[in-house]
Amino acid sequence: MTNPYEILGVAPTASSDDIQKAYRKLAKKWHPDLNPGDKAAEEKFKEVAGAYDLLGDAEKRKRFDNGEIDATGAERPQHQFYRDFATSDHAHPYTNDSGFADFVDADDALAELLRRSERARANRRGQDLHYRLPISFVESIAGAHKRLTLPDGGSLDVTIPPGLEDGQILRLRGKGAAGAGTGGPGDALIEVEVLPDRRFTRDGDNISLELPISLSEAVLGGRIRVPTPSGDVTMTVPKGSNTGTTMRLKGKGAPRRGGGHGDQFVKLKVVLPKSPDSDLEAFVSNWDKGKTFNPREDSAS
Amino acid sequence: MIMNKQEFLARADLQTQTLELWLEQRWLIPDQTSDEMNFSDMDVARARLIRDLKTDFGVNDAGVDVILHLLDQLHGLRRVLDRLHRDG
Repeated sequence: MTNPYEILGVAPTASSDDIQKAYRKLAKKWHPDLNPGDKAAEEKFKEVAGAYDLLGDAEKRKRFDNGEIDATGAERPQHQFYRDFATSDHAHPYTNDSGFADFVDADDALAELLRRSERARANRRGQDLHYRLPISFVESIAGAHKRLTLPDGGSLDVTIPPGLEDGQILRLRGKGAAGAGTGGPGDALIEVEVLPDRRFTRDGDNISLELPISLSEAVLGGRIRVPTPSGDVTMTVPKGSNTGTTMRLKGKGAPRRGGGHGDQFVKLKVVLPKSPDSDLEAFVSNWDKGKTFNPREDSAS
Repeated sequence: MIMNKQEFLARADLQTQTLELWLEQRWLIPDQTSDEMNFSDMDVARARLIRDLKTDFGVNDAGVDVILHLLDQLHGLRRVLDRLHRDG
């Protein structure tokens, strides 16, 4: 094995910063996944990585400089790269055909070749099929079992995991188009659309809700029913609650990935009776303190 | 080899939080045919690539996004070329 200093192209007196810089530069150039078609890249990358394993570690570098270990002492274990899978013949969820979509549409020789080759492939794996599935906000929080009706009249049962977010993609293996010959079926990729809810909004794991309360509930306090995605709960409104007062219902938010739940925030909004009430008018006109209180005092400039 | 989340985290040497983030970015798309997520060797290799990009090469999240998108297209093209070559 060649001298690791030579592989990285640095002097034996180089600082560890210089060694790291040299390694990064070479590793970027030779990383097999960034050179999918270059067989030599893997060898080069291993050499560079091996050299860096040795020289990037102050302890090992010292032992190497002292002649205690040789350059092979730092060889890396076998490692399968992403490129070994990505170009394989089986379609996979990361496949992206947009790089040649314009060729296939075009009416030219290459397009014809592509089409012919598509037809010629006898044992092709079935295509991945893309679907959209709209679900309600409540279903996105609590989870649900949905049946997706397919354009061909069939149906697909989809389990919505609790806490799912808008735009998330669910992959159902083998639920795509049937393959030809010995090629298995493709996958169904389902993009879930969470429909907006007129009551709830979501921010990360937390859910917010604006809840109207009456004037007497605001002034006197009381117990009120509050909708949550998992059903109604009872909450105590303290005396003198105002519009904008926010209360927290612990654990009533969306499930967290690691376990547990976020919270639901309930923002109160005081609402007067719809039709003018003569008793209320009479009371307020006799309520002197209410007239002297100016809520705009703080904001006056 | 098909593995569950725990095995995947061990094989790919990842923290749970990191995985959650990568799933959110859709850098990894595990199989969800059953109730729990299933990962393949390919997902492990892809996770290693993302880790190389981020830790060894200092690529930030936006850069990883761009690189993965371009790589996915590159592999798509390579597949077509390979197919043409073999059927040709």
